[in-house]
Amino acid sequence: MRKKLTVIPERCSGCRVCELVCAISHAGVNNPKKANIRVISLYPHPVIKMPVVCDQCKKPQCRDACPADAIVVTDGVVTILEDRCISCHACVSACPIGAIFVHEDIETPFKCDLCGGNPKCVAACPKKAILYVPEHTLGQAHRLVSALQYANMQEVEYFEHGEKKKLRYAEIETGGTRGDSREH
Amino acid sequence: MKVLHVDMSECKTHVEEVDEEFALKYIGGRGWGARLVWEHMKEGTDPLSPENIIVIAPGPLSGLYLPSSGKTSICSISPTTGIYGDSNIGGMFGVELRQAGFDAVVIKGKAPDLSYLWIDDDDIQLKSAGKYAGMGSIETEHQLREDIGDETVKVASIGPAGEKMVKMACITADWGRNAGRTGMGAILGSKNLKAIAIRGTRDLPVADLKRLTRLSDKAYKKLSQHNLFEFWQRQGLMSVIDYANTAGIIPTHNFKDTHFEEADKINGDVMELEYKIGDTACFGCPMACGNVNLVKDGKYAGTVIEGPEYETAAMFGSNVGVSDFSAILRANYLCDEYGIDTITAGSLISVMIEAYEKDLVTLEDLDGMALNWGDDESVMEMIRKIAFREGVGDTLAEGAYGVIERWPQLAPIISHVKGLDQSAYDARVAMTMALGYATSDIGAHHARAWPIAKELEMGGNWDLNEKADLVIYHQTVRPLFDMLGVCRLPWIELGFDENTYAEFFSAAVGIEFTLEELLKLSNDVYNLTRAINIRLGLTRDDDRPPERVFNDPIKTGPHAGKVLNRDEFREILDIYYQRRGWDVDGIPTDETLKASGLEDAIEYMEPKRKAE
Repeated sequence: MRKKLTVIPERCSGCRVCELVCAISHAGVNNPKKANIRVISLYPHPVIKMPVVCDQCKKPQCRDACPADAIVVTDGVVTILEDRCISCHACVSACPIGAIFVHEDIETPFKCDLCGGNPKCVAACPKKAILYVPEHTLGQAHRLVSALQYANMQEVEYFEHGEKKKLRYAEIETGGTRGDSREH
Repeated sequence: MKVLHVDMSECKTHVEEVDEEFALKYIGGRGWGARLVWEHMKEGTDPLSPENIIVIAPGPLSGLYLPSSGKTSICSISPTTGIYGDSNIGGMFGVELRQAGFDAVVIKGKAPDLSYLWIDDDDIQLKSAGKYAGMGSIETEHQLREDIGDETVKVASIGPAGEKMVKMACITADWGRNAGRTGMGAILGSKNLKAIAIRGTRDLPVADLKRLTRLSDKAYKKLSQHNLFEFWQRQGLMSVIDYANTAGIIPTHNFKDTHFEEADKINGDVMELEYKIGDTACFGCPMACGNVNLVKDGKYAGTVIEGPEYETAAMFGSNVGVSDFSAILRANYLCDEYGIDTITAGSLISVMIEAYEKDLVTLEDLDGMALNWGDDESVMEMIRKIAFREGVGDTLAEGAYGVIERWPQLAPIISHVKGLDQSAYDARVAMTMALGYATSDIGAHHARAWPIAKELEMGGNWDLNEKADLVIYHQTVRPLFDMLGVCRLPWIELGFDENTYAEFFSAAVGIEFTLEELLKLSNDVYNLTRAINIRLGLTRDDDRPPERVFNDPIKTGPHAGKVLNRDEFREILDIYYQRRGWDVDGIPTDETLKASGLEDAIEYMEPKRKAE
């Protein structure tokens, strides 16, 4: 089963522990500017924090942009082959989310390698904002929200051990079509 | 290790190497700051003159992989108190400074025009800040990043209050983190320094990275397993409102009372359920005590702010009688944007409300604006007046001493020590807290000692010796965090073992230190700041808690009727001096100074002793 890294920006506190553990384990130094993951914190226009890390695209634009054929996909990991790389940074510009990084001390661009299948940032994130999940579950959260937002729900109230409770359900043939009946 | 020296008058900078002896003796942060202030100071220097220096110093642990390593100390002679002052700031700013290759910045002089300092690794420039004149701190930070063209640049700045040298002006970094106390923002204002922007890319030195990583992997795990860990992330210091109200120590109506009937309208639950839109953490911190809050409707709709924490919520809630949480958020936002300390501002505004209530000032004194408990709109207007030095605000902008100079009749109702307004914990219920405020080297701030919870919990039968010892222990261990450049909250709130910090430090510098050795160095710095203060004319008479502590019994709540005894305080102060190795007048003895490696302070203490 192949797994993917995914982030939940709403949870991120911007503490940058992910950057620290990544830089220490990959670059061997205490320098978050050498990490393969970066937290972007914007405020107050708009207010958001987001860890940015490689999605390991299956048809990676960075690979397509590389003039030296230095980027390959191996076992689901997009890898920059340092000996082939000419460090032109075409991949850095090509990545649609900015997940390939450079630093003046380091000869070639660098990016997430999933730590060989056990990503350190996931274990270290104090807010559980970075997840490593089976590929087929990506999008599950949005599907769940979609179901919960379905507007044509019925409600019954009942008592259990003297406590008032509510149950929501969708009854056969009472709604419209899903698209025009979601709450916003 | 390098110190960046900036001479604003000459528009020049130079870099000095720090020798290892100095570095290890004073550790960093507040320790380095206090020593550099000591070496540059002259008696009689106006804190707001070009001659005063201000030191911005993270610590040797700042920016390292260990819990909550984002702290930086800012030290100088305070315009609020006229003695040594410092304030620490979280966020990311100090980490970026270290990554640019500097362990401290020392700033002196005064630029001819409003400027900002741009540190781009070793490329240092003083640039015009004309376009940011009068701009709020949060907006300045946003604009500077935009103008530099890099959203990851870290910025510390002052708002209009700092530019106008309001004596409670703070320095704001990373949008909502403030070096709030002792008027450090006014000093930047006096130097025409609007902001410091930093971009640093260097590795931080760690002697034994493997050992540090091993220690920290364990430390983060341990903290995350604490049963209050998640609650802490959710509410942060806002959880203290309920504790302080139940314990009967929350400032209410200008510290008259210690119990607020409507506390459940301004507590952590209200924040979490109705206003919170996100978490914020300082660098490397798993606890994420920062809360980003948004007012979604009502007259303050659109107000977004990182905060409040407990102090701000209490000072702009219970202490001014406000029970509308959205108004607290608005007050917090205005203070941050204008750049003033929420504790001092909340305290002095509540003083004026009580003064008006008791006819101690006239409507004319207040520029015709009546002040009443719970009137949030007049609180907002007072904040603005202080920040822009308008009317009555111009007097409040001078701090507690300025208010007393104009209206001596208000002295008994201002809760301050040495000119610094008291933090949001009432001292009448605990002698240790009163002693802690009275002997704090910067004035009535809880950063040095917060023994109140322990005394309330288990101090019923303590004698005065035990109480004095607890205060001294607090005043030794808590400032150590400021020297190391880390936050004390993992220790104080989640019970993290303080011995681990000695291990972190040993791993970072490659020399073995025990906690005892570090505490000794912290105690040495306390003797140093005492020596600074004695040189500046401080006497035993200044070491006293706010008047209200002795004069004005608590009216309601669990401690109704409680007031401290003046003679007993005198007695504990004697004990405290004795245990610190200070003479009866509070001047460190020659032996004490020698034991602290402060031989050069002896000559300055002698004339003070003879004068007695």
